[in-house]
Amino acid sequence: MTDPRAPTPNSTDAIVQVRGVRTVLGGKPIFDNIDMDIPRGRITAIMGPSGTGKTTLLRHITGQLMPDAGEIRVDGQNVPALSRDALFALRERIGYLFQNSALLTDFSVFENVAFPLRQHLQLPEELVRNIVLTKLQAVGLRGAADLMPSELSGGMARRVALARAIIRDPTLILYDEPFVGLDPIALNQVLRLIRTLNETLGITSVLVAHEFAAVARIADLGYRIAGGKVVARGTPAELTRGDAPGTKKFFGGEADGPVPFQYPSRDYAADLGFPATAGAA
Amino acid sequence: MNQIRKPPSMIGDALAQIGACGLFLVQIVAAIPKSLRHVVETIRQIWFVGAMSLVIIMTCGLFVGMVLGLQLYYVLSIFGGTAALGTVVSLSLYRELGPVVAALLFAGRAGTSITAEIGLMRATDQLAAMEMMAVDPIAYVAAPRFLAGLVAMPLLACAFNAMGIFGAHLVGVNWLGLDNGTFWSNMTSGVDVWKDVMNGVWKSIAFGGVVALIAVFQGYTTAPTSEGVAYATTRTVVFSSIVVLALDFVMTAFLM
Repeated sequence: MTDPRAPTPNSTDAIVQVRGVRTVLGGKPIFDNIDMDIPRGRITAIMGPSGTGKTTLLRHITGQLMPDAGEIRVDGQNVPALSRDALFALRERIGYLFQNSALLTDFSVFENVAFPLRQHLQLPEELVRNIVLTKLQAVGLRGAADLMPSELSGGMARRVALARAIIRDPTLILYDEPFVGLDPIALNQVLRLIRTLNETLGITSVLVAHEFAAVARIADLGYRIAGGKVVARGTPAELTRGDAPGTKKFFGGEADGPVPFQYPSRDYAADLGFPATAGAA
Repeated sequence: MNQIRKPPSMIGDALAQIGACGLFLVQIVAAIPKSLRHVVETIRQIWFVGAMSLVIIMTCGLFVGMVLGLQLYYVLSIFGGTAALGTVVSLSLYRELGPVVAALLFAGRAGTSITAEIGLMRATDQLAAMEMMAVDPIAYVAAPRFLAGLVAMPLLACAFNAMGIFGAHLVGVNWLGLDNGTFWSNMTSGVDVWKDVMNGVWKSIAFGGVVALIAVFQGYTTAPTSEGVAYATTRTVVFSSIVVLALDFVMTAFLM
């Protein structure tokens, strides 16, 4: 059964279009001619084993890191070709949740969330306060407004960062591992929040996450990346039953096979100083 | 073979660093108009690098002045010229010791904290987060600290000089019995505001800019690791000290 929310593969209303992107970092090829469309107003999940370049892709989309070749269009603008000012103007419409939260450590929770408002808009203090408290309420941390980042747990810091990412109601939000460190209650709230933002404000969301069960509850579309290429595309349900190489290994959590758990290395016995055994891998 | 290759590589690396630092300065200067929107942040940084350095600068100024008073009184007494103590001490402080020693202390106290702070911001993605919020970290983080160095350094050098003269007066007049009127009148007649005092002020502005630039650059470009921040902090002190002393010679030659 096909999910009715799933965008068609040929959807032309893509807020992000990635075309022929090639990236090499530190001599290691990350992307090899990758193409991708992120449909507007939908929730798209990007999945794949660690080290396959999911975060790098988000950094390409936001212009934090430029690819070696290819085009990345966000709202029609080719990101690698943008000037610094144009890039900053584009980023004002993008929310980004960092993997490590990246809260400003000298500011309180309230000031962290208020930071983008204060920097870009001249709003009355009362309005700033109301907007910030509304966003903090949405992530369940209104009562923590006066705490400093050093007083927060990892999960709380993630939720504060989420409140900061959505403070200006962006058209596109990129979530880099948004579920790490969240307890089940917070996880449910964040899932609900991402879905609510998507449904009520039409915000496009891109999730980089490993928690497939959580992703499957909210994502309209998923991409699986492996070996520098997109190996599967479809709804979460289609991804799990797809016949792309490594699908069962990846979603079944099986080590080795087409999706290796071990980083390429020398013979284990030789590394430990034991005599090599016949037939050892 | 490696020994033959290494020196050119070290020179190349050093030149690349100097070039990158120069380009960084251009970026900071270009961002100054934008950073004026963050005037509160600039004032906060002036307080942080200036007011917070005041105690160490004034304490060191006092002791340097006391040592100068003792040493120069001894030397001048050989020639029967102890009356010139105030003039010699103040000229030494205004023209050389004030700006140079205050800049070296400034590098150790404020420069290291600037580097460590920005380095940690780099390591914890705070600078990247600002970029993603469309806030230019050069304008918000680097330029205010650079401006703070330019403003705070001459004021700190003045405080250093004042305490130095007070220390020399304490030793020369109060302890060694030099006439108070002689001390002050010889000083005021022997020191020229434009030639001597301003000489030191120009130097301290230049030293403040150089130390702040090196500190901000090292923090901004540090490797995002604890070891990287440690190395960057050390480099700030080493490079600042060398550049301040070298620049002092160049400026002295031109301002004589």
